[in-house]
Amino acid sequence: MAELDDSPVGIVERLVGFGHALRDAGLPVGSDDILAFCAATAELTASDPQDVYWAGRSTLVHRRDHIPLYDEIFRTYLLGHPARAPKPDHPAERPTPQGSTGTLEVPDSEPGDEQSDDQPLVLGLQASGVDLQRTKRFSSCTPEELAALRRIMARTRLNPPRRRTRRRAPDPSGPVIDIRRMAREAMRAVPPAPTLHRLTRRERPRPLVLILDVSGSMADHSRNLLQFAYSMRRAAQKVEVFCFGTRLTRITTVLDRRNPDDAMRLAAERVLDWDGGTRIGESIDAFIRRWGRRGISRGSTVIICSDGLDRGSPGDLADAMERLSRLCHRIVWMNPLVGENAGQAPPTLGMMAAGPFIDVVVSGHDMASLEAFADDLADLGG
Amino acid sequence: MTDQPTTGSPTGVAELQDMLAGEGYLAGRGLATATFIGLRLGRPLLLEGEVGVGKTELAKCLARLTGRELIRLQCYEGIDTHQALYEWDYARQMLHVRALSERELSDETTVGGLYRSEFLLERPLLQAVRSGGNAVLLIDEIDRADDEFEAFLLELLSDFQVTIPEVGTVVAEQRPLVVLTSNRTRELHDALKRRCLYHWIGYPSLEEELAIVKLRAPDVADRLAAQVVAAVHRLRDMDLAKPPGVAETLDWVDALGVLEAAELDQATAADTLGSVIKDRDDLDSVTGDLSRLVSDG
Repeated sequence: MAELDDSPVGIVERLVGFGHALRDAGLPVGSDDILAFCAATAELTASDPQDVYWAGRSTLVHRRDHIPLYDEIFRTYLLGHPARAPKPDHPAERPTPQGSTGTLEVPDSEPGDEQSDDQPLVLGLQASGVDLQRTKRFSSCTPEELAALRRIMARTRLNPPRRRTRRRAPDPSGPVIDIRRMAREAMRAVPPAPTLHRLTRRERPRPLVLILDVSGSMADHSRNLLQFAYSMRRAAQKVEVFCFGTRLTRITTVLDRRNPDDAMRLAAERVLDWDGGTRIGESIDAFIRRWGRRGISRGSTVIICSDGLDRGSPGDLADAMERLSRLCHRIVWMNPLVGENAGQAPPTLGMMAAGPFIDVVVSGHDMASLEAFADDLADLGG
Repeated sequence: MTDQPTTGSPTGVAELQDMLAGEGYLAGRGLATATFIGLRLGRPLLLEGEVGVGKTELAKCLARLTGRELIRLQCYEGIDTHQALYEWDYARQMLHVRALSERELSDETTVGGLYRSEFLLERPLLQAVRSGGNAVLLIDEIDRADDEFEAFLLELLSDFQVTIPEVGTVVAEQRPLVVLTSNRTRELHDALKRRCLYHWIGYPSLEEELAIVKLRAPDVADRLAAQVVAAVHRLRDMDLAKPPGVAETLDWVDALGVLEAAELDQATAADTLGSVIKDRDDLDSVTGDLSRLVSDG
């Protein structure tokens, strides 16, 4: 490695400047990190690039994913190397999952251009990437549908997914003896007859995140899914609902209506990309960035309702799913293409890319299967 | 923490590397630098990496090296403050009260006497705060604990003080050296990461791993060591569910040593594969391809 160039600028300015360069490149570098970086370099030999490199890497980088970017900035900023031509982040460069017969790159049509859904569907692996702006109108719920919604709500209310908390509560048949309480009772002036008190871990509702695919290929199911999301939102606590086609929209708040028809109408107005193309990877990535990492998905059961027909890069989808799987408790993929053969994922490119990170694949192709799913939900929470 | 009283505190990265090698731990330049900064600045060290690359081992070596006491907190799902910080010994307190009341010795100091240190069960975190600069605190597999526990650790790692309502606040006079390890089964909160020096330990290169094997198992013949290391590197390229770590390499060498094998051929590899591959599916895919695994490339 070359010597660091001896510029007239003081070493501290240079180090701070390096921190700012990293921040400009998108790394989350705080002032305290830069302070630690300078303090660390002071303990080492500031003229040795190796020392400066490792001091920076252990103080300024907090994630493994950021290391390549750090290396690049270090090379250009501190060593004065010319910037490398940015590598084209082309899907074809990524290893495609086995079974896909090459990535089929159909160029994106102009926004607003109607592209027939046939071609990608015949190819069977990818969906359209058209970024259409469309709204949708749903007809009113039929009496049968209303009855089904009520049944889902009732079941979910009886048996919502739960998680155990760290706090304990009295329970006569719990596994742990409540020695504090017994000591307290024994210390009373007139102790009661000694009894064995027990404790168990308290349970709280587990957060639930529904991410619904409303793209063209899912058009037949989006009404059912939305009704399902509505009833989950009404029945359980801590439910978040998102829709995506080519962009991600949060519709949690608009579903809070007493009348399901009102909720469906408002949701239809809120979402702008009905029946358009699909970019699953980007949408899940957007979810993680905007909502997931702030805490919505931590410890939650995430239900992604999509057929896996994706126009985005499968590599992006796999990356996003991997990050999501580390943030949440369980990932359930509800895929209407599964139909009756539950457990077996259809060979769409998206499903293959996401496959390793999915805990359960369920069907949900009609209202009956959605009802059955509501029954099993508590067990999925584990 | 430059005025550390402990003997043998290193003055430079190279010296730390030598000292670690003396304890049987070969640290790369990056890991040694991060550790050195951690020692000097009193910052916690967060080590992430694949299973079996020596994250826990580093803390043990550091404890031996600096002559400090190793305090280990193994994290698991549902760990709470009673298991991590402290708990009152209720049973002993009860007996104490009984003993006093039978002899009618109670006075106004009795209650206070119940919260003396002899009734306090110190758990690892409180122990570490009390020992301060004389301890290496290893918080192992933090990713297994619930994320609420991370929030609790945050407070402890920034101030190194523990408040016990009945006793008062215990403050560490000098910060203990803290090593956190994570297998990255889930993402840690950024707030916790920010308080730590971060280092990712990857798999060592062929040469590095060979050096590690020779250092940890000096009796092994050079040829056998080279064969085993080469085979392990091939295994890591094979897209297994559980790629073997350095710990598995050492286990394998030990296993072959027990069998007094002179070299790694298909037969000995098949017999001892259980010490490197710990997954049924992986075992199936490797056994089908043994000749490629042990070939001298």
